[in-house]
Amino acid sequence: MGAFFRPRPTAEISEGERRVSPLLQFVEDRLQIAALLFMASVYVIRVLWLFHFRAVRERAAAEGRASAGAGYSLSNIARPWAMESTRTRPLFYLQFVVFHLGVTAAIAATFIIPYAPQWLAPRGRVITFQALMAAAFVVAVFRLVRRLRRPVLQLVSTPDDYAAITLMMAYFILGILAVPNRPDRGEGPMIAFFILTAFFLVVVPFSKISHYLYYPFTRIILGRTLGRRGVLPVRRPRSRQTAEERGEEVGA
Amino acid sequence: MKTVKAAKSLSVENLPLDVATQDKARADALPSIQKDMLRTYDPAADNVRRFLDLLAERITRPVAASLAACVHCGLCVESCHYALTHPDDPTMTPVYKADQIRKIFKRRIDWTGRIFPWWVKAGTPRGDEDLNRLKNIVFGTCSACRRCTLNCPMGVDTAILIRFTRGLLTELGIVPEGVFNVSRDEWETGNQMAVTPLDFLETLQWMRDDLRADPKLAGLDIPVDLPGCDFMYTINPREIKFDPRSIAQAAKIFHLAGEKWTLPSAGWDQTNFGLFSGDDRLGGALARNLYEAAIRLRAGRIVISECGHGYRSTRWEGYNWAQYDQDLPSESVVRTLQRYLREKRIRVDKTKNDLPVTFHDSCNVARSGGMTEEPRDVLRRVCADFREMTPNRTENYCCTGGGGLLSMAEYRPLRMEAAAIKARQLEATGAKLVCTICHNCVDGLNDVIKHYKLDMRVVQVLELVENALVY
Repeated sequence: MGAFFRPRPTAEISEGERRVSPLLQFVEDRLQIAALLFMASVYVIRVLWLFHFRAVRERAAAEGRASAGAGYSLSNIARPWAMESTRTRPLFYLQFVVFHLGVTAAIAATFIIPYAPQWLAPRGRVITFQALMAAAFVVAVFRLVRRLRRPVLQLVSTPDDYAAITLMMAYFILGILAVPNRPDRGEGPMIAFFILTAFFLVVVPFSKISHYLYYPFTRIILGRTLGRRGVLPVRRPRSRQTAEERGEEVGA
Repeated sequence: MKTVKAAKSLSVENLPLDVATQDKARADALPSIQKDMLRTYDPAADNVRRFLDLLAERITRPVAASLAACVHCGLCVESCHYALTHPDDPTMTPVYKADQIRKIFKRRIDWTGRIFPWWVKAGTPRGDEDLNRLKNIVFGTCSACRRCTLNCPMGVDTAILIRFTRGLLTELGIVPEGVFNVSRDEWETGNQMAVTPLDFLETLQWMRDDLRADPKLAGLDIPVDLPGCDFMYTINPREIKFDPRSIAQAAKIFHLAGEKWTLPSAGWDQTNFGLFSGDDRLGGALARNLYEAAIRLRAGRIVISECGHGYRSTRWEGYNWAQYDQDLPSESVVRTLQRYLREKRIRVDKTKNDLPVTFHDSCNVARSGGMTEEPRDVLRRVCADFREMTPNRTENYCCTGGGGLLSMAEYRPLRMEAAAIKARQLEATGAKLVCTICHNCVDGLNDVIKHYKLDMRVVQVLELVENALVY
């Protein structure tokens, strides 16, 4: 670990990085790696924790395929038409997509800025990242207002729920300021962006933001159970034709 | 028809715990209580401690995952018939109901809630009053229809959380009186309506004699304990106790199809209140009775009469509860009928069923059992005017009588409020008959039809097939 915290040799630092302060260099690199390692460790423990609960062995003979059900269930996220709740609320689903694209852009930026800064050199890419995060910020505002206004969400929401969305809003703003990767114009937003990233990495395993860790498990468990029973994948009628229309002789 | 939106929610959270029949069962020293199979409420016990111990002891991976994964997005709200009919009452939503057990899980088992309970609104029941309130929520405001489960983006299975919580409370005797009574009858008699062996055999004889009055059915029998048959037929006690016509209809069809079948004298009840009470011990005992009866009779398969929760319990869950690896094929009688029709073992004339018919998918059969197309195939073959209701299949709304709610009279007013959405759905079909393959749904839909004064009647597949028979 001692070597881990030593500054990198100058020869390893890129042309662009030579201009960054030691503080920014630390928060965008070593702090991130330390936080990532912490998060990964906690996630491993979290998964082991989940697995220490007794699994349910299905003893009834299957009518469908558990793997097909699990695959269908897991990929539900990409099929808004599969569930009534998303099919009838396309705007809500669109918000979900936009929000998570913004999250993806912000997370990607934390790797690109320190390790592949040249990738963000074209102005179009910077603007694309900024646009994604700006759109995600707008969605986050909508979601926060929704959470504050809807009685049911007021009733069930916890400080963790409010903190998660509020911090994400701050993260998007800082991300928009950080992605141009111009420390020469002021390192403040970049340092704040990377410190918030590290904070997220440390805190996320204990907050609702870790829902993406559970997603595959809940989806696969449900999908396998209902897959065996033939509930998932949802069966659509093969044909709306009547038996006679299909050429079968029915009745007298 | 009344409006869909209920004027004011009838709160059930504070309904008291009624233990009169529990006291009587204890005074009568029922064998199931003596043997510690049927649990009763003990006000002197530390029930909160027992509840928390049971929670930690019984939690399974699917339950833990569903408890941990909710993000409070609220998408489940619009999938629940209670929530849809009570838009101004957030306590009717699936997320609120599930959160009542989730907050206890977070306080006792999850990480963050144990250290910073206020951060995730984690909490522990303070006493028996809180457990009673929890009872009223999980038994009284949810039919465990699983509609919210299939509409949750995270795959949170709220229905299994409800059943899990019910199971913990059942161990403490903190249950609605109706749940206790049915559980008592099942433990004591092996069937949920306390049908005696004499009642059972006499009813079968009566049906057989009625059928034999038809000269074309002179050789018909309703065999009991006949070994080596193609299948063992299992029924709902309601068929014996209240409406044995369905047994006669089945017997007639089996006879005309040339089937070799039998009923068992013991283990004939395919219903299983363990599904509703969350009591896996009861569920396992009843299911094992049935599975072992089929083995004893050397039956080729088990055929389950038209019952939603019976189908789910016998076909799917019972094997897990009983820790019994399935050793015989089992199927709904609807599949048996479909086979007869496809193989032309029976002849039908669909014009005999000329009234417009719609089909109500039972939650336990469609969302938890995977059988949606078979009944439709049969209905299209035996009905002249079959029409779908919207939504249908796995998206259908509950009849509102599911989850054992028919046995819990104290929650009926709220249930009938929540039924407004079902009434609107039924009425929109314009059908005169609503067909379902579940006895619970028959009673639930009858309640809806009567309450909302709809011009339709409930039928089952057996009745329509029997009515269309040509012989």
